[in-house]
Amino acid sequence: MSDSFLTLLGAILIAGVIVLVMWPGKGLWARWQRSRQLTKRVLAEDALKHIHQGDLDGRHATVASLAGALQISMDAAAELLAQLQTDGMVEMHGGDIALTPQGRDTALHIVRAHRLWERHLADETGYDAAEWHARAESAEHALTPEEIDQLAARLGNPTHDPHGDPIPGARGTFIAHDSVPLPALAVDTPGRIVHVEDEPDVVYAQLVAEGLHPGQPVRVVEVTPQRVRFWANGDEHVLAPMLAANISVVPLAVPDETVHADGTLADLALGAAAEVVGISRSCRGSERRRFLDLGIVPGTVVSAELRSPGGEPTAYNIRGALIALRREQAERINVNFQKLAVDSK
Amino acid sequence: MTEQQSIPIQSPAACQTCPAHNAGNLLRLGVDMTEFDYVVALAGNPNTGKSTVFNALTGLRQHTGNWPGKTVQRAEGAFSFGGSKYKLVDLPGTYSLLSTSLDEEVARDFILFGQPDVTIIVVDATRLERNLNLALQVLEITDRAVICLNLIDEARRHGLTVDERRLARDLGVPVVPTAARSGEGLPDLLQAIDDVATGRFVCKPHRIRTQSRSISDAINRLAQQVEQQFPNLPNPRWVALRLLDGDQRIVEAVRKGELGDLTRPEMMEMA
Amino acid sequence: MATLALEPNGIKQDRVAALLDSAETLRWQIGQEFHEQLMEDIYTDAARIADRAVTRPDEKPRFDLDRTIDHIVTSRLWGFPLMILLFTVVFWITITGANYPSQFLSYILIDTIQPFLWNIANAIGLPWWLSGILIDGMYLATAWVVSVMLPPMAIFFPLFTLLEDFGYLPRVAFNLDNIFRKSGAHGKQSLSMMMGFGCNAAGVVATRVIDSPRERLVAIITNNFALCNGRWPTQILLATIFIGALFPVYLAGIVSALAVVAVAMLGIFLTFAVSWGLSRTVLKGEVSTFSLELPPYRPPRVLQTIYTSLIDRTLYVLWRAIVFAMPAGAVIWLIANVTIGGTSLAEYFITVLNPIGIIFGLNGIILLAYVVAIPANEIVIPTILMLTVLVYGGSGAGAGVMFELDSQLATRAILDAGGWTLLTAVCVMLFSLIHNPCSTTIYTTYKETGSRKWTAVAALLPLVMGFAVTFIVAQIWRLFSG
Repeated sequence: MSDSFLTLLGAILIAGVIVLVMWPGKGLWARWQRSRQLTKRVLAEDALKHIHQGDLDGRHATVASLAGALQISMDAAAELLAQLQTDGMVEMHGGDIALTPQGRDTALHIVRAHRLWERHLADETGYDAAEWHARAESAEHALTPEEIDQLAARLGNPTHDPHGDPIPGARGTFIAHDSVPLPALAVDTPGRIVHVEDEPDVVYAQLVAEGLHPGQPVRVVEVTPQRVRFWANGDEHVLAPMLAANISVVPLAVPDETVHADGTLADLALGAAAEVVGISRSCRGSERRRFLDLGIVPGTVVSAELRSPGGEPTAYNIRGALIALRREQAERINVNFQKLAVDSK
Repeated sequence: MTEQQSIPIQSPAACQTCPAHNAGNLLRLGVDMTEFDYVVALAGNPNTGKSTVFNALTGLRQHTGNWPGKTVQRAEGAFSFGGSKYKLVDLPGTYSLLSTSLDEEVARDFILFGQPDVTIIVVDATRLERNLNLALQVLEITDRAVICLNLIDEARRHGLTVDERRLARDLGVPVVPTAARSGEGLPDLLQAIDDVATGRFVCKPHRIRTQSRSISDAINRLAQQVEQQFPNLPNPRWVALRLLDGDQRIVEAVRKGELGDLTRPEMMEMA
Repeated sequence: MATLALEPNGIKQDRVAALLDSAETLRWQIGQEFHEQLMEDIYTDAARIADRAVTRPDEKPRFDLDRTIDHIVTSRLWGFPLMILLFTVVFWITITGANYPSQFLSYILIDTIQPFLWNIANAIGLPWWLSGILIDGMYLATAWVVSVMLPPMAIFFPLFTLLEDFGYLPRVAFNLDNIFRKSGAHGKQSLSMMMGFGCNAAGVVATRVIDSPRERLVAIITNNFALCNGRWPTQILLATIFIGALFPVYLAGIVSALAVVAVAMLGIFLTFAVSWGLSRTVLKGEVSTFSLELPPYRPPRVLQTIYTSLIDRTLYVLWRAIVFAMPAGAVIWLIANVTIGGTSLAEYFITVLNPIGIIFGLNGIILLAYVVAIPANEIVIPTILMLTVLVYGGSGAGAGVMFELDSQLATRAILDAGGWTLLTAVCVMLFSLIHNPCSTTIYTTYKETGSRKWTAVAALLPLVMGFAVTFIVAQIWRLFSG
C-alpha cells in the first residue's frame, strides 16, 4: 500500500516539476528563453526605436525617458547611450539625443519588422488582437532583413499594419498620414479611423473591446470634456476623451453610409431578412476573404433560416445558398433590417 | 536562316484549331497528355452536381488521386468525341478563385498554367447568381470555356426558367442546359466542348465591370503594360487584376517569366 | 530573329521590373479596399446577368421540401433524437452485418488457406523457418487484418457516403457545432470522428472537409480517441471475460456492453478535452475560420456509391494489410521463434519490459505486443495470446504463432495463467483506447499535415496520456485494494 502511495507521490512531484518548467509563457523554460533574448542588442534596438518615435512625436528622447521606456536604471540607460554613440548610431547635440542616418535606418528596420509581424499575426494566424503587440515586440529582433522582405512579399507588400500605422518600405520609405486625434474631429464631419494606438495595453484592449479598428468610418456626435460620443462600426460609442485621443482619424470628403447600421446579422430574427452594410473591420485575413467569397458584400440581402438545436450556429440564406455562421461571426456583419420579410430566392 | 525559312511558321491566328493546352506545364501539374488530343478542366462551386457531370462524361474511365504535392483530391477521366480523345480533369469545387485556400490555388493554377483547351464551368441553374461569381472569375482567366447549366430539371421543378441564349450572349461563351443525373443535354455539352476545343466556336467572354473609376483606370493601364510585355497572353487583364491585389504567386510568375511560357507555343518556337 | 533582345528565359528583365514597379505604385493609389470593391463588383455583375436570364414564378411555392426536411432534422425536439436513431441504425447494421462475412473470411483465409499453404510448403520441402516466417508470420497477419477490417469497412463507409450524398451529414455538423465550438473545434469534426469509429486513418483523411487550419489539426490529432474498428474487438473480449464475468449470467451481457460503451464515451470525452486544450495552447496561433454550407438535399446514387465505395475500401484494406501488417507479421514471428541460448528474443524483451509494465497495471507481454503490433491494432490480442502461451505454456495453435480462441473460457484461462487480474484487463482496455495511433494512421497524418511536428504530437500525445491514465488507475487501485 505504501509502495503505491510513494509511487503516486513521486509521479505527482515529477509532473509538478515538468509543469513548472514547461508551462507556456510562465514556466522556467519560457523565462529562461526570455532572459536570453534580453541581450544588449535587443536593448540597443529598442533604444533606437524609442528615440525615433520621440523624433516623430516631436518630443525628444532623454536619458530619463529612455530608462522609463526600456525599464532599466538611469545608469544603465546612460551606459547604453554611450555605447550607441560609440557605434555611430546616435549623436548628442547639447542635451538632445539625435539619430545618425545609420541609427535611423536601424530604427526603421525594427519598426518595419514590428509592423509587418503584426500584419502577419492579424492576417495569417489566430492570435488575439491583444497579443499582437507583445509578440511583435520579441519577433522584431529575431527577423533578418531577408526574412522581413520575404514576409512582406508573402503578405502582398502591405502598406499599413493592423493598427493603421504605415509600414516603412524596404528602402526606408515612410508615408505618414495627416491624421488628427478623434476628439479633434469636428462634430458631424465624416472621417475614417486610420490608427488605433496599441500602447498602453490596457487602453488598447478597451478600444479593441469596443470593436474599433483602422478603416472604419466614424462620425462624431458630441465632444465634451467628459466624453466623446461618436458613430463607428454601425454602432454608437461613448469614450472618455483621454481614451478617444488614442484613435487617429482623417476627415473624409464624402460621407460613408456604412457608419450607420441597424445592427448585426446576429440580431436578425429567424425568418427575417436584412441587407448587408459591410463587414466589421475587426474581421480580417482569411475569414474576411471567405465572407466576401460567400457573397457577403454591401447590398446582399440575407435571411435567417434555421437555428441549430444547440443554440448556434444559425443558417442564413445568402445569395441562394444556405450558409451556417456562428454567432461570433454574425456579429461582425453589419446590416440594415428589412421591414418586410422578403421572399428568399 | 535559310533552313528556318523553309519551316512554315504558324501565326497565332492561323492556329485556331491547334490544341491550346500547355503540355509542359500540364505534366508538372501531374497530367500526362500523351495519347490525348485535348484536355478539359471541370470547374464549379461545391454542390452543383459537378461530380455527376464528371461521371456522366467519363463513365468508368476515371481514376482518383491527389494533386502533386497537395492533399487535395483529384479525379481524372477520359472520353472521345468526334474522333478526338479528351482528357477530363476535375478541379476542386470552390466559391471563388481570388482567395488563398489550397483548393482555390489548385484550381486557379490549373486553369492559368495548364491552359486547358476547354474549361467547363458547372453552374447550378437554381442558384445562378451565386454560381456566376466563380464563372465570371474563370472567364477572366481563360477565353475557352463552356457553361454547363446543370440541375435544369430541379430549376424547372421550382418553376424557374433560365434563358440560356440570353445567358450565352451576356457571357460570350456557349451555355448548355443539362440534367447530368438523367443524362439530359449531355450530347449538346459534348458538341459545345468540341466546338470550343477545335476553334469552331470562338468565345468572347464577358469581362468584369467595376464601378470604381480609379480601379478600372488602374486595371486598364496595368493590363496594357502586361500586354506589351507578354504579347499574345490570353488574359492580360486578369494578370493586372491579380498584381493589383498583391498576389505573390502572380508576381513570381511575372518575374520568373512563367507567364511568358503561356503565350502561344509557336512564338516560343520562333525564338 | 526576335531572340536578340531576349534574355535566356525570353523576358526582358528591366521591363519586368518596370511593370512590377508600376503595379506597386498603382496599388498605393487605389488603396486597400481594392479586393473588396472587386468582389462587390463581381457579385453586382453576376446578379445583373442572372436577373436578365432567370424568370421566377410569380408565386412562391407553398411547399418547399428541402426546408421542411431541414425544419425537422434541425428542430429542437427532433434534431438530436433523429440523429442518434440514425447512427444507432448505421452502427447496428455495420456490427451485425459484418459478423458473418468476417467469420466467413476468417474461415477461408485462416482455417482453410493457411493449412493448405503449409501442406504445399511441406510438400516442396521449404525449410521450417522460411515457411514459418512466410505463412505463420506474414500471411497470417495479413489475413487477420483483412478478415477483421474488410467487412465492417465495406458496410460502414458506403452507408456513411449515402448519408453524405443525401445531404444529411452537414446537418449533423450543424446540430453539433455548438458543442464542438466550445471546445475550440469545428462541427464537421463530428463527421471525421464518426469516420474514426470505422478507421482512424480514414477519419484523418475525412478531416479534409474542415477548411479551417486550426480546427483541422485539432480534428486530426484527436481522431485517435475515436475507438476504431480494430480496437472494438479487444474491448468487447476483455469486457466480456473479465468485467461481465463478475456479474450473474443474466446481467453479464448488459454489464460488459456498458463497459465497452463507457470506454467509447471516455474516448469522446477525451476528444473534447484534448481539443479544448490544444486549441488554447499549442494550436493557438493557427488560423481559425468557420463556414458550413448546408447543401440542398439530393437523392443519393445508391448503386454507384456502393460500387465505388466497395472498390475503394477493399483496395485500401488490402494496401494497408500488405504494406503495414505483413512486415509486422514477420517481426512477430521472428521475435517469437528466434532463440538465443534456448530463450526466444520475445522472452528477453518481456523480462526487461515486465517491471515497467507492472507500474502501469500492464505487463511485459502487453507492452511488447503493443510495440510489435503498432501497424495494426487488430493483431494485438492474437499477439498477446501467442506471447503468453510462449512464456507460460498452455494450449494454443502452436508456440510462436498468433491465434485467437472461439472459447472465451479458454482465452480467460490463458490470460489467467499469464498473471492477468481485473486491474490488468481494465488497464489494457484503457490503454487500447489511449495509445499511439496505428502506423497507417501515423503515416496518413503525416501525408495530410505534411508536418513532422504535428505528426509527432498526434502520435506521442495519446501515448503519454495513456501511460498517465493507466499509471494513475493502477496505483490508486493498488492503494485501495491493499
